[in-house]
Amino acid sequence: MPDERDAPAEGLLRLFRAAPFRLTLLSLALFAFAGAAFMAYVYIAATGEARRRTDAEILREADNLVEVYDRAGASALNTVLVSRMAGERRFLYLLLAPDNRKISGSLARSPVEGFGGEPTWIRFSLSGFDEDGRPRSIPARGYQQRLPNGEILFVGADTGDDQSFIVTLARGLWGAGALVVVLGITAGLLVSRNFTRAMTGLTNVVAAARNGDLTARAAVRGAGDELDQLAEGLNDMLDRLDRSMSAHRHAGDSIAHDLRSPLTRLKARLESALLDMEAGRGDSRQALRQALDDTDGVLRTFSAVLAISRLQAAGEAPNAVIFDPAGLVGDMTELYGPLCEDKGLEIACDIAAGLTVRGNPAFLAQALANLVDNAVKYTPAGGAVMVRLRRRASGDTEISVTDTGPGVPHPDRYRVVDRFVRLENSRNLPGAGLGLSLVAAVAQAHGGRLELGEGPGAYDGSGPGLRAALILPEVA
Amino acid sequence: MHILIVEDDVSGAEVMARGLSDAGHACIIRNDGVAGLEAAREGEFDVMIIDRMMPCLDGVGLVETLRRDGDETPVLFLSALGEIEDRVTGLRAGADDYLVKPYAFAELIARVEALSRRRETGSVLTQLRVGDLEMDLIARRVHRAGREIDLQPREFQLLEFLMRHAGQAVTRTMLLEKVWEYHFDPQTNVIDVHISRLRSKIDKGFAHPMLETIRGAGYRLDA
Repeated sequence: MPDERDAPAEGLLRLFRAAPFRLTLLSLALFAFAGAAFMAYVYIAATGEARRRTDAEILREADNLVEVYDRAGASALNTVLVSRMAGERRFLYLLLAPDNRKISGSLARSPVEGFGGEPTWIRFSLSGFDEDGRPRSIPARGYQQRLPNGEILFVGADTGDDQSFIVTLARGLWGAGALVVVLGITAGLLVSRNFTRAMTGLTNVVAAARNGDLTARAAVRGAGDELDQLAEGLNDMLDRLDRSMSAHRHAGDSIAHDLRSPLTRLKARLESALLDMEAGRGDSRQALRQALDDTDGVLRTFSAVLAISRLQAAGEAPNAVIFDPAGLVGDMTELYGPLCEDKGLEIACDIAAGLTVRGNPAFLAQALANLVDNAVKYTPAGGAVMVRLRRRASGDTEISVTDTGPGVPHPDRYRVVDRFVRLENSRNLPGAGLGLSLVAAVAQAHGGRLELGEGPGAYDGSGPGLRAALILPEVA
Repeated sequence: MHILIVEDDVSGAEVMARGLSDAGHACIIRNDGVAGLEAAREGEFDVMIIDRMMPCLDGVGLVETLRRDGDETPVLFLSALGEIEDRVTGLRAGADDYLVKPYAFAELIARVEALSRRRETGSVLTQLRVGDLEMDLIARRVHRAGREIDLQPREFQLLEFLMRHAGQAVTRTMLLEKVWEYHFDPQTNVIDVHISRLRSKIDKGFAHPMLETIRGAGYRLDA
């Protein structure tokens, strides 16, 4: 852990290490590279252009002078040169005799050494003074040629102005580059700080969740960007996790509650059996048998809870296959046939042929068995149970069990699907109240649902009946 | 019967061994997969009870190794894991039956005995006989003391299973699994009703009832 003194440095370091800052630096480097290339191009083009322009002017002036010479002869040229030198001082002139003796001109001697007669370009320096009177060297350029009478004409120009333009340009370009880099780094730091702040929020929430605190939520800044989406996603995930955790806690409570009474009963039976045996009184076999029955009940509850939890945790049907549910529906109806007959119930089935579902046959069989079991359990003698397999217009497959029992009042229909919920008037019937929850869990794991509705209506003093339908989605 | 128990829960294994010993079987216990494999290779067993999750070598690995070695001793898998998906992997690995914890003890004994019986009756039979009850598997007819008994197809299958396991307890879950071929824990009385139908057909009118109910376990057909 960094101590307090190091904290700001640490923070800055973290800022520099942050992903957006690095990205900014990278893009800045790329931009700087492109900028430098662009500036180099501008510099080369501008200097080239300036030189071309100066050269063109020098050449034009030289051509003008040669024209004067051609038209009016050497003395006229000399006159023109003198008048030019007296006037504007744009150009530098030098007229030399064939033996290199100066005839006239503003230069003492030609900067071209070893002149062979060919027209020659040259770059040279003039000594001059700046505004403060200090000596300085001024860059210049010139063109020398031989006239037909053997005399030598030199025309030059001072390029100091061009040079200072280029220097100004270069300075401007460097300045712009520096500004871009500074602005880029600043923007990078700002973005980075913003991002780091948002990320720190998210990281804190994740850390809290890892430590078991599922109540912390990430702040959504309202910008609607990826970070907000991430925060929303994280919050949503935590919501679900929290819900499922509390559902598990709740389930744990329910299991504890539901198992306490049979276990207490079991304990009491075993204790009294032991007391009887110790006292040598009576036969404790009956008590032990009942104790065994109690254990069976407990085990059954455990198995059901286990199955529900596994299905809910898996979120999908294990070992799913695509099959025709007709056989399964027929088998379950047949399985319950004798039981219905013994209870004085009529059981019938209506099975559509050629349907396919995707799922785990064992779980679906158990779900359907639970529905039929419920129907048989709650329908009074003389009633009927109808098992139906059909395809809905939506393409979903529906496996329904309809009975003529008392049904489930509308407000309770969602409640009965919850684990362990048994309506008050069914307390005296056997079962742990897990039947419909298991069916709902199976339906959900298959991407389907359990629908509870009213049966055929009041019938012979009973009714209105319950219609429980397991809806399975169409096989894609 | 010689039974090898490979189970890392030491006290659980001991309770199991005591129960099986009371039922007349000799048990050897090993507490991890590697020791279990050694014991299985050294000794001759009629049935092995192997826990699914164990240190060193888990149940699946153990059974796969045994099967690769050509050891065909029937294996009952025990697992605290959920139901169906694990059953499939377990059976695919080479186990012969699968029991999920927590289980009823009667269920364990019934399944262990059924496994040993399965090995004895390897040959294809055309006729089954238990006492004066005869079943012709080809003509699909049943006679008791010479009197023909008319059975529904499912009743026939039920009786066939009971006769193949005569003298031995079979549980309701086993019946649902082997006769209906569905793997789930049936509500208690669904199977009972089928049995009582069958009983009324084969025992009614005879002095000696053959099909008895065993409390807390299931049923047994005896001569």
